[in-house]
Amino acid sequence: MNKKIQRSLAVVSAAALVFGVAAAQTSANAAPKTVYIAYQGPLSGGEASTGTDEQNAVKYAIKLFNAKNKAKYNVKLVSVDDQGDPAVAGTVAPGIGKNKAILGVVGPAYSGATIASLPFYKAGGLVMISPSATRVSLTDSGSPDFGGPVFHRVVGKDDLQGPALAKYATQGVSNAKVFIFDDQSSYAVPLAGYVTSGLKKVAGATVVGTDSVPNTTTDFSPTIAKIATSKADVVIYTGYYSQAAVFIKQLRDSGSKAIFAGGDGVFNQEFPKLAGASAEGSRVTGVGGLAGVSTKLEADYKKSMGVSSGVYSVESLDAANILLQGILKGNTTRAKMLAWVKAYNGKSITGNTIKFSANGDISYGLFAGFTTKNGVLVNTGIVK
Amino acid sequence: MFAVLIDQFWSLTIAGIALGFIYVLVSLGYTMVYGVLRMINFANSEIFMWGTFGTIVTSRDIFGYTQTSAPATGPKLALVLLSQLLISMAVAGVTAIFVEYVAYRRLRAKGTNRLATLISAIGISIVLSELMRLLTDSRPVGSPRVLEKIILGEVWGANLRLDTIITIFAAALIYFLLERFVKLSRMGKAIRAVSMNEDAAKLMGVNLNRVITTTFLVGGLATGAAGFFYITVFEYTKFNIGFTMGMAAFTAAVLGGIGNIRGAFYGGLFLGLLEVYASAVLGTQWKAVTVFIVLVLVLLFKPNGLFGEAVQTTRA
Repeated sequence: MNKKIQRSLAVVSAAALVFGVAAAQTSANAAPKTVYIAYQGPLSGGEASTGTDEQNAVKYAIKLFNAKNKAKYNVKLVSVDDQGDPAVAGTVAPGIGKNKAILGVVGPAYSGATIASLPFYKAGGLVMISPSATRVSLTDSGSPDFGGPVFHRVVGKDDLQGPALAKYATQGVSNAKVFIFDDQSSYAVPLAGYVTSGLKKVAGATVVGTDSVPNTTTDFSPTIAKIATSKADVVIYTGYYSQAAVFIKQLRDSGSKAIFAGGDGVFNQEFPKLAGASAEGSRVTGVGGLAGVSTKLEADYKKSMGVSSGVYSVESLDAANILLQGILKGNTTRAKMLAWVKAYNGKSITGNTIKFSANGDISYGLFAGFTTKNGVLVNTGIVK
Repeated sequence: MFAVLIDQFWSLTIAGIALGFIYVLVSLGYTMVYGVLRMINFANSEIFMWGTFGTIVTSRDIFGYTQTSAPATGPKLALVLLSQLLISMAVAGVTAIFVEYVAYRRLRAKGTNRLATLISAIGISIVLSELMRLLTDSRPVGSPRVLEKIILGEVWGANLRLDTIITIFAAALIYFLLERFVKLSRMGKAIRAVSMNEDAAKLMGVNLNRVITTTFLVGGLATGAAGFFYITVFEYTKFNIGFTMGMAAFTAAVLGGIGNIRGAFYGGLFLGLLEVYASAVLGTQWKAVTVFIVLVLVLLFKPNGLFGEAVQTTRA
């Protein structure tokens, strides 16, 4: 761009900003105050379904809030699309960090994208409440990924999910012989570790084999050969659903009847769709979902949003509600909002008490077990 | 460590041979073009990926199979499989010709250096994969099961599964036919003539453009057939699967001696078996490491690959 044009554009936009603010101020006395919160997650690309589901839940919470507090506030949502990709997050986060009109972020959805966004939100003092970033290091003050003081999450982290997955996978199997493998990703490798330590607490269970398979693999025959040799009766995969679908087909085609289980990376309705009949009976841990909390709430959600609630809808609603309650209490600067979230003590829509630890974690982590029945992952209740 | 290899030796071997034959067909796409043009067709990996989609579109959209429909049987099965194979070969063949037209022909006519075509080939491969990404919304695509994976019998403790057996025999047949074509047909002779000496071949009245287009077409057809076998065995594709496959097939071509058709055959089979054995013995995380250590060792002692270079050495 030509320098002259650039300069004149800068002048125009600065003028627009001044007039815009002035216009907003004059109308503030009469009309409800407009405030902004953001949602960040994958809204396009391969992971878009997760982000769209989460954002819908945030929109739903805002819709309810605005209808109830018409006179005082008009909350608007800023959509931040990071495609779940740290590289993209690094390019969108600086703008959000600098835009002081945004009081808080629900998200980011994924841990990698969270780490890439953190420096900009820390610099801007922008509070974040993630509904689904489960990586342990995010709330570990000794780690370089540590998100304090701005990062919070309303989802149980992986060291809570690992034991839940270990329990659920081996349910009803006495002296379970377990084969564990991961996809070499920064999500799957630590989770496999937490599953392994979780299995130590399951009576009689032993780990009879492991493997680590690049996430570009389509030929799983060596892994399947190892499973056959190890005589495992439970196979746990800690990677994502698309690979899980390729694997489970090949495992069943080889004639193996071993139980297949996966973590929340496999928790996606696309999994049984891709894997077809081979996915039947697979056990997956994930978060409970709105319908599991209240069918009435789910019905209202569907009526209001036009679609059913999806993954992490409960967590997204909780996260949005914390910010919205903060706004209602008049915390309309970033510093006040951060203090509000840090001191928050309230109820989740599941009835649990939400209170953040100094590092940003909630005190509970609930993972539900899902089993594939007739091509759909069906909730079988919280894993206890 | 070796317990898996001893226990599952024949299962692994059969799987490795099936995978190897898929590699053989894709590496033909690299070797043919290299033999004639002395250029690497980087877009071949994406030609393969388009072939896999050709297979799925045929069963899903033309024959109306879904994830839940029952596998085909009898003459219907043969019809569906054969159309899948032919359509995926056609898709890949047409894509290969398209690549030649867009990325190679004009630049060749202008007499640009080889690096320019290298970049244009990488460019067209990005276009092909991004286009598919947009068409599929970045999502993985599962293939309906057309061929029931019946276990035909057992040999030394290994299951003989129908899809692997079909892959091994049909891929071998396609390889054999292509090799005969290059060896015996008039066009095959012209291809070999151009690969030996382009100028001399031109002076003998060989139509250079036609030879090059045919070379791309033959490579594309082989790659498309590989796409069909890949889907039949693995039933899964995505816009980005080309990269891994292209890397493996290119490695196979170099192992066997790029430019040499027979080299692609042995290189592909060797690589398929090596990958499967290495993953089973050392763990899948060591697969790529082992493959490239072996590649470096082979090139250290035989810089032109196991079977040397060039299409012209495949003489009758």
